[in-house]
Parts: sequence; structure tokens; C-alpha cells
Amino acid sequence: MVTKKWILLNNEIMIKNDDEFSLHKDKEAVRSYFLDYVNKNTVFFYTLKEKIDYLIEQEYYIDFYQWYTFEQMEEVYDLVYAKKFRFQSFMSAFKFFQSYALRDDSGEKFLERYEDRVVAVSLFLARGDVPQAKSYAEMLINQEYQPATPTFLNSGKKRSGELVSCFLDEIGDNLNGIGYAIDSAMKLSSIGGGVSFNLSKIRARGESIKDVEGRAGGVLPIMKILEDTFSYANQLGQRPGAGAVYLNVFHTDIEEFLDCKKINVDEKVRIKSLSIGVVVPDKFMELAEKDEACYLFYPHTVLKQYGKYLDEMDMDQMYEELVTNPLVKKKKVNARHLMVKIAQTQKESGYPYLFFKGNANRGHALKAIGNVKFSNLCTEIMQISEVSDIEIYGKEDQIRYGISCNLGSLNIATVMANKRIKEAVITAMHSLTVVSDMTNIAMVPSVQKANKELHSVGLGAMNLHGFLAKNFIMYESKEALDFCNVFFMMVNFYSIQASMEIAKEKKETFVGFEASEYANGNYFASYIAKDIVPLNDKIAVLFDGMEIPSAADWLSLMNEVKTHGLYHAYRLAIAPNQSTSYIMNATASVMPVVDVIEVREYGDSTTYYPMPYLDNDNYFFYKSAYDMDQKNVLRLISVIQKHVDQGISTILHTNTKDSTRDIAKYYIYAHKMGLKSLYYTRTRKASIDECVSCSV
Amino acid sequence: MSQYKAVNWNTPENDYAGMFWEQNLRQFWIDTEYIPSKDIDSWKSLSPEIQEAYKKALGGLTLLDTIQSHTGMPKLLDHIDGLQNKAVLSFMCMMEAIHAKSYSTIFTTVNSTAEINELFEWVEGNKLLQFKAATIDRFYRNLDAAKVSNEVLFMGLAASVLLESFLFYSGFFMPLWLAGQGQMVASADIIKKIVADESIHGVFVGLLAQDVYKKLPDPAKSKAELVELLMELYENELKYTDELYTEVGLTADVKEYVRYNANKAMMNLGFEELFEIKSVNSIVLNGLNGETTQHDFFSKKSTNYEKSTEILYLRDEDFQMDTDPVF
Repeated sequence: MVTKKWILLNNEIMIKNDDEFSLHKDKEAVRSYFLDYVNKNTVFFYTLKEKIDYLIEQEYYIDFYQWYTFEQMEEVYDLVYAKKFRFQSFMSAFKFFQSYALRDDSGEKFLERYEDRVVAVSLFLARGDVPQAKSYAEMLINQEYQPATPTFLNSGKKRSGELVSCFLDEIGDNLNGIGYAIDSAMKLSSIGGGVSFNLSKIRARGESIKDVEGRAGGVLPIMKILEDTFSYANQLGQRPGAGAVYLNVFHTDIEEFLDCKKINVDEKVRIKSLSIGVVVPDKFMELAEKDEACYLFYPHTVLKQYGKYLDEMDMDQMYEELVTNPLVKKKKVNARHLMVKIAQTQKESGYPYLFFKGNANRGHALKAIGNVKFSNLCTEIMQISEVSDIEIYGKEDQIRYGISCNLGSLNIATVMANKRIKEAVITAMHSLTVVSDMTNIAMVPSVQKANKELHSVGLGAMNLHGFLAKNFIMYESKEALDFCNVFFMMVNFYSIQASMEIAKEKKETFVGFEASEYANGNYFASYIAKDIVPLNDKIAVLFDGMEIPSAADWLSLMNEVKTHGLYHAYRLAIAPNQSTSYIMNATASVMPVVDVIEVREYGDSTTYYPMPYLDNDNYFFYKSAYDMDQKNVLRLISVIQKHVDQGISTILHTNTKDSTRDIAKYYIYAHKMGLKSLYYTRTRKASIDECVSCSV
Repeated sequence: MSQYKAVNWNTPENDYAGMFWEQNLRQFWIDTEYIPSKDIDSWKSLSPEIQEAYKKALGGLTLLDTIQSHTGMPKLLDHIDGLQNKAVLSFMCMMEAIHAKSYSTIFTTVNSTAEINELFEWVEGNKLLQFKAATIDRFYRNLDAAKVSNEVLFMGLAASVLLESFLFYSGFFMPLWLAGQGQMVASADIIKKIVADESIHGVFVGLLAQDVYKKLPDPAKSKAELVELLMELYENELKYTDELYTEVGLTADVKEYVRYNANKAMMNLGFEELFEIKSVNSIVLNGLNGETTQHDFFSKKSTNYEKSTEILYLRDEDFQMDTDPVF
């Protein structure tokens, strides 16, 4: 094994000359990567026909001839190749070939370039509709929209995994329910999904089983089993299984739940690879603010008293009742201390995620149908769920809603540059809809039911910081708030319009539409009340050439929705998108960058990634998230959140010197600003030089 | 009768002991937090030559950390002034024991028992490695007396810095080089933790050595002795590098890296650099960068998190903030 030249070149970006990084080395790395590696390892075909036929005959691709003639396919290929696509950074090219490009069965030779993948995805999703295939292809090769990894990776392949990546479900408090969850975890994990479970209904450690006190093992043993299940059922060894579990903060096992991530804890109760999240009802934040005694409840005693799960109760209403009922077993803690304990755990491990249940349900469009009870592995999915009753063999199960979601992201910078917000959102919504319609996870009926009836999708966005920096706008500025307010209002508008059009065309709405806030018009109230326009001239210029929907447009949209309904129960969700943002040469999600040159550690490589559009003139605009006041970031997210029906993966960036109190204050602020969740907390280490120089 | 003192952390002894204590505490980790089993596939994909070099590199490192925890730190502790300094050294001593164990956490995960036994036999039988250990140990053993001169103490401290900041790196090269290219990445998480520790150990002991150096009547003599020792070890490192890395074709890069770190050791001791450095392998150099990296939580464990040492509670005013909606 000799040093790979392109990796060396990529590493050499970090060599500084006159205080400037050697950014040109990255272009050299891309060139070397293609000349010395990709081109030498790509299977050569004389003609396009030969290539397509080979890929189909050898069972790499599905038989596209069932939908298209060769000439039709050629049109799409020509359109895409004519764009002369070039990777803008080594990271983009490396990530694409490493993780997405189709390889032959030996794994040694590439069968696809980026253009080929784009065409395969387009042909697959368009299912024979040539104009549609072309509009997908144009959007993808322009890098205006990026489907989530499972869709981008698997589309068009004969032997492939599922197109959907994200699943959630409740766990019932009995062996059948737990068994169903473990079974689902294994199956969903094996098809490449990230799975999240709500453990809040499980009885706590020490509660009764069959009325014998002290027998229940609590949530930890179930977490252990789930962790092992995920690591066993990986996707053909390609990628480790990933899962998350959520627990309500009022559940008496909460402290044990948090302790599982501690650095120094007994192996039996340590959770290494399972992600954890805490469900935080408003009541808890209120108790912390007032510094009143906080009681945790034993969920099984609650269920026995009220016939209802603790997790399903509105704690604002029920808390006092539970406290005064002597038959509900409880434990007294200090809410502020518990919040600080969460902060401490985050400092040590990055976990847990926080899910602010009150905020997530306040504007929930399906509130008449059910509550949002927890979130997913990346804390952006927020949909109704209800626990299924799983019976013994021979008896009929009562299957209720699990959650399934497929995702994709707009590239803000290219969409704005091409002035195609409307076109990109509508085309993206169609492509997400196709994926939802094609997906049928029969092996997990609760997930299948949700997908079949609700058609949920999650359109998000990436490259916010890159776009702002490119236009000389600081991430923390007022202009950035102004931009996001208008941009995401437009995304919201066109996604509703697309969903309505699809419902009209298919003559089908999601189940329960009539009872939703869309049907009664409440959802539109704030949009109809007032025009949303850019307040700042600099921002207004960025929207030149695009029509910004007015209050009147919203009113007519509302009426159209009342007539035709919506096809999707949920439309928008902003994912953290990691790998996919690299391919797009974009900054991840709507988060600020961490560094001008990001050092990226993956399970399989270390790569240096100069931020998109970075040069020596705009350096200043790539302020690191670690150097920002996190409140500014949270404020920006709160603006975006108003236009997003589900959630936004929001990462807190802290420094070693930030105390647990500083971090807990961010929770309070995030909650007050209406954020629905916080994803993990990253910590920047103080380096040794810094320590020595400031105190010796 | 001698008077016994209790360590009083309320009064700082110098301007760095408290800070190093904190930093050590924050960096605390144990090997079993990490998941080297993820590297089993990667290990199998490596050529036998690379496997051999990797194993031997880690075997050599185990020996050095063993000496450091069993002899080096305890001996130095005995003669260092200041109870807080001693406390920091004893914490470091414990970490060295954890390091020594953690290399085997890696190779016990990827190797068979027979291979592991063979490796330990190799460590015991390898002349160059044994020379390295014996040379350093000689200076530690000089500290056996109840009272020692400042000259002897300085050389003991200096030997420790050479071990921490210089001699380790011919071994670290291999795992860092592989990890930079996407191999043995989970194991490299452990190695990076060790590198971060060794780097503060080198700085701290270096500061202690500088304090002692100031008190020497004939500092030039001690410095000359130090340079002589370093050159002796350097010659040995070159041969050791040849032995480990010739078959994988990396000797030139490793030797440059060894010189680079010899300079670092000298700087930790407050002296100028000895060798001229042309270019150090960027992959390995970047691998040393202790600053925070981005990672994907689902595919690997981060090395960024540290134990939180200070717990501050919330107060009433923390809940009062300006939360007016923006628009």
C-alpha cells in the first residue's frame, strides 16, 4: 500500500503560506483522484447503448426498456452530459465515488459517473414519463435538489435496498409489544433505515408485573437489546444499523436513562451506539422556571389508575392530579438539577436530543387526530403516532400509526442563483411523492399503514451558510433572518400548492384531511393576515425575478386546499444531511459551518473540506458555529421553524469552557423561541496551546 | 521525626499545576469506550506487511507506556517538589497504565491469542526496542536514591520528555497514516486519545524540567548530556524505523517524522530545534491535530467529548431572556 496521491494533496490544503491555506491543492486533489484512480477504475463502454444494455443484462439496473425506448433514454443522458458537470471539491468527488457510484460485483470497478447516477434516478422516479424524467434530471444535475441517501443510492438498481430511510414507532408495555418493536428494529435496520422508538410507555424499573411488585426491569434492558439488534442487522455489512430511543422526562427511569451515556459506567448499563432523546413537555420547563418540586411518575401505576399512558397525557392538565393521587407512585426531584444533568450528559457525550413536546404540538396541523409524541434519529421528523396492540398468534393485532418518512433537500444557493424556488419545490415534491407511493414496508405493518394513509414526506434545505457567505451576508445578521423568513415561506407555499395539485390529480387526500387545520383554514391564518416580504433592500435584490406569494395568494391557496385537499399529511422537515451535502458541495442543512476548512472523520476516511465558495475575499463570512452566540443560531432557526410543519435538526455548538449552566440556558431559550427539538451538542476542545498560553 | 503534609489545592503552588490537573481530568477516557471491533474488516483487508508493521508498532508502544507507568512517573514523583505537581504526575501515571492496556484492546480485538503471544515475545527479544527501554530506564533508576542532585533529576525529567514527545512517534506514525487513508479508523480513535495525553504529559514534565534547569550550577553541561542522549536515541530510532517500515516503504517519511518530534521534545524542554525539517507527511501531521473534527455520530464515536468537571446550576435570572418573536 503506497500513499494515495490524491489524499496527500487533499491533506496539503492545510499547509499555510503567508497565512493563507493552500486551497488550490484541493483542485489538484480532484484532478489526481480522477486521473490516477477513478478513470483507471471505470469500466469503459464504446456506446451508450452498449452501456445501458450491459447494465440491464448483468442485473445492475432494472429493465428501463419497460418504460422507455433507447432514444428516450438517450435524450435524458444527452441533457445531463451537456451540462459538463465538474466536482467543485475533492470531498464531493470522493464521497460520491466512495459511497454512491455503482460498482461491479467485485467492488473494484466503477460502472457509473455522477451523470449516470443522476439519469438512473430520474428515469426510475419518472416511471416512463419522459418530460418528467427530464425535469428531474435537470434539477439534479443543476444540483438544486438532492434526494436523501437511500433514494439517491438505490434508485434504478436491480439489487437494492429501500428508498426510504427513516422510521419511527411506539413500544407497547407488554412482551408482545416489545417483541414487535425488536422484530421491527431488526427488519427496518436490515433495509438501511434509521429507526427511533418511544420507550415512554414501558413500565419503570421496580414496578409490578402481574401485580407482583418489584419485578419490572425498566427501560435500560430494552435499550441494551435494541442496541445489539441494530448492530447485528446492518445493511449487508455496508453501513452499521442506527437507532434512537426517546423517554419522557417524567418517567421515573429518566436518570438511569441519562446515565447510560456516562463515560465511566458499568458495561451492563452502558449504551455506546444507540442514540437517546428526552421528551420534554412544557410542564417540565415551567416547573424548572418556577423552581417548584418536580415529581417523576411510575408509568404503570398511572396506567392502572387512569387507563391511559403517562406519555399520552397532557401534563399541563394532569400533573397536579397525578401529584395528589396517592395511588400513583412518584419520585421527587429538582427540575433544574435534572436539566443540568441533561446538560452534563450532553457535554460528555453529545446526547441526549431534546424534543419539546408542547412546541411540536402547538401548531400541529393534525392536532384533532392525534399528538406528536417523539421524534426520530435526527430530530426533524414530527408526526402523529399511536401504539399498536400486538396479540398472540391467532388473534388479530390492532395496528395503528407508526411513522415512515422519506427526505430530500433543496440546495438554497443553486435554487436562488437559478431563480427556481417554485419549480424546484414542485419537482422535488413530486419526486418525494413517487418514493412514498412506491414504498410498501409490509414487514412492519404499523409503518406500512402510516405511509399508505398519510403519504408523509420531508423536504428540507441545505447550503444556507454557503449561500449567505457567497452573498457577503453574515449568518448571525438581521439580513439572514429576513432572507430565511421569505425563503422558507415560499418553500412552504409551493409545497402546499404541490401537495394540493397532487391530491387534485390523484383525487385522493391523506386520511384525516377533513379534520386537519388545513381543512378548517386555521393553518393559513397568519399568512392571510399579512404579506411576508423582504424588509431589507439587499435581501429584496436576491429575490429579483421571482414572484413572492402575497397574502392574497395564500388566501386563494387556502380555498383551493379546502376544495381539493392535500395529498401529504406532512411535507417539510429539515434534516442534518451530512453525506449528501458533501456531494452537492454545500454547507450542511441550515446550520452554520464549523470551520473554513472542515476536517471530516467518517467511519472510513479523514478528509479536508474547504467550505463552498470559500476564497480569500469572503473568508470573514465563514464564521465558525463555535464562535457564534448560540442564541443567534437558535433565533434564526425559530424564524425558519414557523414555516416548517415538522422539525429542524438543530445542533448546539459549545466550547469546553461553557458550563452546564450555559448549555441549560440554551435549552430554555430554544424552548421559549418555539423550537421543536434540539439535536446533539457538539463541543470544541480547548487545545493544549491555548491552555498553556493563557495561563502559563 | 519528619512532618507530613496534606495536599492543599486551595493555595496554588505554581501557575500551571492546577491547569494541568483540570486538563488531565477533562481528557480522561478509558479504552473500552471505543469500538475497535469495527476495524476487523479493515484489518483483514490490509496486506500482511502492513499488519506486521502495525502490530509491532503497537507492541513497541505498549512497552514504552509500561515503563512510563511502572517506573518513570513513580520515580519522578518521588523527587518533584510540590504536592500538586505530584498529584498531576500520579494522574498521568494512571493514564499511562490505561494507555499500555489500550494497545492490547486493539490487537486483542483483531488478532488471535497465538499472534498476541508472539508479539509480546518479539517485544522482549527485539534489541533495538530493548535498547530504547534500557536507555531511558537508566536515567529513571538514577532516581532510586532518597535524595538526588538537580542534575540527576533534570536528566530523569528530560528522559521522560524524550520518551513522551519523541520516542513514541515512530510507533504512532503507522496508525495515524492508516487512519488518514480510511483504515483502522476506530482503533485510531484510541491512538488519538493517547496522542492527546502524551502531548500534555510532554509539556507538563517539560515545564518541571525547565524549573529544575534554572537551578543548575552548570546548565551547559546538562544540556550537552541531554543532546548526547537524544542523538544516541535518534541513531537507535533510525535503525528501529528501518526494521519496522522498510517492507512497507515508509522509512523516509517516518524518519522525517521522528526528527520533527525530536525537535518538539527539545522545545518542550525549552531548547531550540536540533534538526532541519523539510516536509512532514501531511496525512500524519493532520492526524495529530487535536482540534475538534466533524464526525457522523452513527458511523463512529467521537474523540471530542470530555468529562465535565464543573457543574453549575441554574438560577432564577437564567429564565429571564428576551424571547420576542423576530417577525
